[in-house]
Amino acid sequence: MASLSKGSVAALIAAVVGALCLLLESSLPWLVKFPAAWVLPATGWVGAFMEWFLALIKPTARAFSALMFYPMEAANYVLSHTPWPLVICATTALAWTLGGVRMALMAVVGLGFVLASGYWPESMNTLALVAVSVPLALIIGGGIGILANEYPRIRQPVQAVLDIMQTVPTFAYLTPLLVLFGFGPVVGLIASAIYAAPPMARNVLLGLERVEPEIKEAAIMAGGTRLQQLFQCEIPSAGQQIMVGVNQCLMAALSMVIIAAVIGGFDDIGWEVLLTMRKAQFGQSLLAGLVIVIFAILIDRMSGTLTQDRRDRHDPRVAWGILALGVLVSAAFWGSVQQPGNYGLFNPVADSVDRGLSSFTSANAEFLTALKNNVLFYVLLPMRIGLDQAVLPFTWGFAWTPAMSAALFAAGAAAGVVFALRGQVALGIMLLIAAGMLETGISQLPWPFVLVGAGALAWVAGGRNLAVLTVVLLGTILLSGLWERALLSLYLSGAAVFACAVMGGAIGLASAVSPGVWRVVRPVCDMLQTIPLFVFLIPVLMVFQIGEFSAFLAIIAYAIVPMIRYTRHGLVSTPEEMIEAATASGATTWQMLKDIRAPYAAPSILLGLNQTILYAFAMLVIAALIGTTGLGQSIYLALGQADVGLGISAGAAMAILALIADRMVQGFAEERRKALGL
Amino acid sequence: MRTSGARLSTPPLTELTQVSGSETPAITCRNVWQVFGNNADSALKEALSRHETPEAAAQDLRGKGLIPAVQDASFDVKEGELFVIMGLSGSGKSTLIRCISHLLHATGGEIRIDGENIVEASPKRLIELRRKKLGMVFQHFGLFPHMTVAENVAYPLRVQGVKKKQRLAKAQEVIELVGLGGREKNFPRELSGGQRQRVGIARSLVADCSVWFLDEPFSALDPLIRRQLQDEFLEIQAKLRTTIVFITHDINEALKLADRIAIMRDGKVVQIGTPADIVLRPVDDYVREFSKDVAKGQHAHVSSVMQPGEHHVYGADDPGLRQDMTLDAALARCMELYEPVPVRTDDGKLVGVVNPADLAAALQVEQG
Repeated sequence: MASLSKGSVAALIAAVVGALCLLLESSLPWLVKFPAAWVLPATGWVGAFMEWFLALIKPTARAFSALMFYPMEAANYVLSHTPWPLVICATTALAWTLGGVRMALMAVVGLGFVLASGYWPESMNTLALVAVSVPLALIIGGGIGILANEYPRIRQPVQAVLDIMQTVPTFAYLTPLLVLFGFGPVVGLIASAIYAAPPMARNVLLGLERVEPEIKEAAIMAGGTRLQQLFQCEIPSAGQQIMVGVNQCLMAALSMVIIAAVIGGFDDIGWEVLLTMRKAQFGQSLLAGLVIVIFAILIDRMSGTLTQDRRDRHDPRVAWGILALGVLVSAAFWGSVQQPGNYGLFNPVADSVDRGLSSFTSANAEFLTALKNNVLFYVLLPMRIGLDQAVLPFTWGFAWTPAMSAALFAAGAAAGVVFALRGQVALGIMLLIAAGMLETGISQLPWPFVLVGAGALAWVAGGRNLAVLTVVLLGTILLSGLWERALLSLYLSGAAVFACAVMGGAIGLASAVSPGVWRVVRPVCDMLQTIPLFVFLIPVLMVFQIGEFSAFLAIIAYAIVPMIRYTRHGLVSTPEEMIEAATASGATTWQMLKDIRAPYAAPSILLGLNQTILYAFAMLVIAALIGTTGLGQSIYLALGQADVGLGISAGAAMAILALIADRMVQGFAEERRKALGL
Repeated sequence: MRTSGARLSTPPLTELTQVSGSETPAITCRNVWQVFGNNADSALKEALSRHETPEAAAQDLRGKGLIPAVQDASFDVKEGELFVIMGLSGSGKSTLIRCISHLLHATGGEIRIDGENIVEASPKRLIELRRKKLGMVFQHFGLFPHMTVAENVAYPLRVQGVKKKQRLAKAQEVIELVGLGGREKNFPRELSGGQRQRVGIARSLVADCSVWFLDEPFSALDPLIRRQLQDEFLEIQAKLRTTIVFITHDINEALKLADRIAIMRDGKVVQIGTPADIVLRPVDDYVREFSKDVAKGQHAHVSSVMQPGEHHVYGADDPGLRQDMTLDAALARCMELYEPVPVRTDDGKLVGVVNPADLAAALQVEQG
């Protein structure tokens, strides 16, 4: 072992710092708990600066707000005053044009459900917001994408800004928007435009970059001016990718419009979910949630047809016929179609769901509580505060003793030595570190260890630049006094990501091995990805009430999808030739999986993990609504108190964590890809 | 070769016009460089001022991490000439044609089209040139996927603001010319590779260009279609007589089509000459290696194996050989002969003798 690998060196440094911190813990308490006196009042500074800045642009913002009022009112008026048969028929006609009979049926059934649920007026309010914010987002996003394509110099900064716009938690920028625009639906509108513009910009840029060089050259050689080249050749050629952007933009806008309901002031469907959730009317809340899901699915599938390569043409006469039917019905029953909110066909269902739910929870109370408590006491709590504090006679039946700590470390060290002797030094040291972290708990890790450990990891993943970036950014969090909350967020999302990685990996593996499993898993994944974040809260809340465990489950439900998808994709996309070569060499199915498919899938799986981490952070903030501690809670509190400084700082801290995790995993994935020559 | 004098330094314009005679060449390239990398312009200037030969300058640039993709290329293309640039992938031929069509801004040197230096042309003038004078065909066709065949072909007219009816009528003419009549309403994705390239050819011809660039137009097609399109291309060229710069990596294609061929290697033009020059008088092993694969019987002439002079002994048979016959044709006439035979000019004057065994041997060696 004359020369240690980069990974071993990094692990060794982290282990030494960690051990030092543990040893000196009792004599130097500031090693573990960052002294409050060292904290810079950064939150206050950010707040003061932002308030000054916001005051500066407030008049403009308010003027813009007043301006946006008109299209919003108009959209709202049109949608809520159009008789519902006409709305349904128009949507169905559009669905027919886009996707034929299946799509049209989906539209009729979906909107029929909405009508019958009695949430029609609220839904139209939500749609009105989407209808105004989406064009705004499309114009802004498209503009950014085109400009970034035209001026390569600004491409990188634009990408960075887009990254940040998508990693900063959605709630975080609601607070400054609230101060800028005042309470009201305009905040939701603008927040959703801000949130929905980046995917559009990204896809426009990507599409334009991917236009075949020869198509661009052909446009030049035809003698087109730059504008002619762009609008007559490049943009139409990039059409499919741009449509992917439109689809994502629509979905993001819908999701954000619903999240923005927490601000209130607008009688939309998201507000309805929130309200019924607060009143513990879970049946109704589930119903409203279903309405949201229906809109999400309809919007997704209808706009999704635009991204398809070859679309079937559907007879426009049928569409006109459907539309005419809508006009006729509206005219014929003019008097009786005016009150679409009065239908309540599903109210009895909702009530019986409520009743069924309470009888279910009371009947299975023992099991549910046991499940919840077991996970809390034996998994989450030890991860959070460490075995030395989590192991109590009350829960575990015995108390943690120093001897046990010693045994834990000894076991870790022994395993480490075994691995080190087998040549896997880095893995061995990591085991030792893991033992230390288990003992201490993530939320109580000494800060020098976290800084050094993260820096070392970043160094291995992406070289010196990333290491410096990581340490500086984490240092900012430390100095701003949000450290403890950041560690709490790290713990919860870490636990959720870990659970997602294990379960998602297993499900992905099963789906890769058996097409039957994939047939079942795939629609579930599609479904989970279409559902706006917010709706995930309803079912977990129904069964497990408010608390960390519910938040944990909601995060997993949302963040597990990419892990499943990427794992499966990586495993099944091994080139046919490699499979044939392995078969010819006489590999069994299991050997093939272990030796050929898994290594080849590694970069793809890492990307899945990366997405899962980002999803988990995004959901963490939403989950704050139902009880988590940490940064998410701070952001949510800041929103309630219109505390811009806290909101922005906590949002930034959250974005920093997400960003660092993202860069590190990308770094590892890149390394794997390079090693495989991909 | 008339370009050889222009290699070392940039000659003044007067000298250029002298070199090419009274008639202005359609295309003139003088010391064209294309360097990729950071600050390529200044790096090239510095390297050229510091070194005597282009080779040394290129070496210098490479040492700094820049890529000299085209080095000091100089040649003329006469009006109506079919000029083929041939080389392997990475030799810089595609880069060179992009410099001439100004899809890339040449880092150094001078490129004149009908006497006008296009390296310094304004963007506006370039658009005008492309609309009126230049046409280009691409290896992977570069068709607009969202336009029908007719719309694709008519596009160069559309950007000029020609009325729809007029431009579609004109497009129709060219579509007939390339044999795609009846396919006007199809989209590119519905066509085969050969048909797509016909669309590409039609589009480049619709605006009546006088200089025609073809960048490996037939390389992406399978051999049968390729040959068919080559023949049709020659027919079109016989009708239109435009000036053509044609890129290929296929020596057989180059020999079949070219009036003259420029062979490129690692960014340098290593030889310029007629097909026969290339086959019979390769300047170095690299060019010789190319012509090795060629069916020389079709390109080499009797004169290359003839013993010249009037005093050789020869046999009784006279199969009627001429100096400029190809080896294949000569061999066909000497199938059954073993004695040396006379070679005569068209008016019957003896210029030398050929041993039939030498004819066969020349082909043997070259094909093996």
